[in-house]
Amino acid sequence: MRPRSSRELVSARDFRFKATGLLYIVKLGAVPPAAARPGGDCGGLVPGSGAGLRPRAAWPAMAQQRALPQSKETLLQSYNKRLKDDVKSIMDNFTEIIKTAKIEDETQVSRATQGEQDNYEMHVRAANIVRAGESLMKLVSDLKQFLILNDFPSVNEAIEQRSQQLRALQEECDRKLTALRDEVSIDLYELEEEYYSSSSSLCEANDLPLCEAYWRLDLDTDSTDGLSVPLLESLEPSAGPLQAAAPAHSHASGPGPTEHA
Amino acid sequence: MATYSLANERLRALEEIEREIGAILQNAGTVILELSKEKTNERLLDRQAAAFTASVQHVEAELSAQIRYLTQVATGQPHEGSSYSSRKDCQMALKRVDYARLKLSDVARTCEQMLEN
Repeated sequence: MRPRSSRELVSARDFRFKATGLLYIVKLGAVPPAAARPGGDCGGLVPGSGAGLRPRAAWPAMAQQRALPQSKETLLQSYNKRLKDDVKSIMDNFTEIIKTAKIEDETQVSRATQGEQDNYEMHVRAANIVRAGESLMKLVSDLKQFLILNDFPSVNEAIEQRSQQLRALQEECDRKLTALRDEVSIDLYELEEEYYSSSSSLCEANDLPLCEAYWRLDLDTDSTDGLSVPLLESLEPSAGPLQAAAPAHSHASGPGPTEHA
Repeated sequence: MATYSLANERLRALEEIEREIGAILQNAGTVILELSKEKTNERLLDRQAAAFTASVQHVEAELSAQIRYLTQVATGQPHEGSSYSSRKDCQMALKRVDYARLKLSDVARTCEQMLEN
């Protein structure tokens, strides 16, 4: 704040009453400082202000406190302490700024000097408020981290929920695959029927000697059901490739002649 | 996310507290700015000061409640649960679906080739 001019001082006197009234309102709603650290940062600037010079109150005994490891218990106590200190710092510094805004008629030094001092004090207290606010944000971040790592009920619930989602997805996939299998098996049966009854399923010429392939072709054009038997009998003592062809031919022997007729 | 679990509710409450801390600082700044003016708006001053005080108390109460809850539920032991098994099963199911899709595409390609020939 810039040093106040004489014209401003006249109207600034009005601030005194308003600031006092506001201070009264602030004090009515202010959090009663239960525990204060002696020589804390909030009162360090103005030792006589009374902020931060009260003796520390004992920590309230926490009911239902379980046997936590020392580190966890210490950590949670430190969180409580940080919370109390930061809130106290914010309230005290804010109160002191409002108090400093009060215009006093008599000052120990000149008004300009007093104005400069008040300006500097307000800057520092405002910086303290911002620092305490940032410290509170850090505390909230630490609490979030602690919650994620150590809040077992919610971690269990999150794991259970995720497992249920994944199991539901897996069951859906398997159900659809089973339905697909049933449909595809019907189509595959028809495809196989079509394939083995078509000309592409017959033994290819390069698998047989040429006379055998020609003989089979002739047999197919004149064949009846009875002709297929001597064909099979003649094929039995034959070489390997023909043996592979025989079942295919016997499979196709039914519909085959009708197609090649 | 369609459903919010307990963990997310607490985390959202903490995020709300973070926003409120920002509002606290903003209210404090507004009050001091208003005080620095020659002609102050008393009603605005009172309103902002009341909001500031109420926010500070609310933040303190909420954070105390969270710390109290953590004191009750924290055990100090690491949590050893995981959803790895169900995730692996789901992954294998998706692999099965991919494999079936590949095979079906092969069959479809074969059928098309046969039809072209």
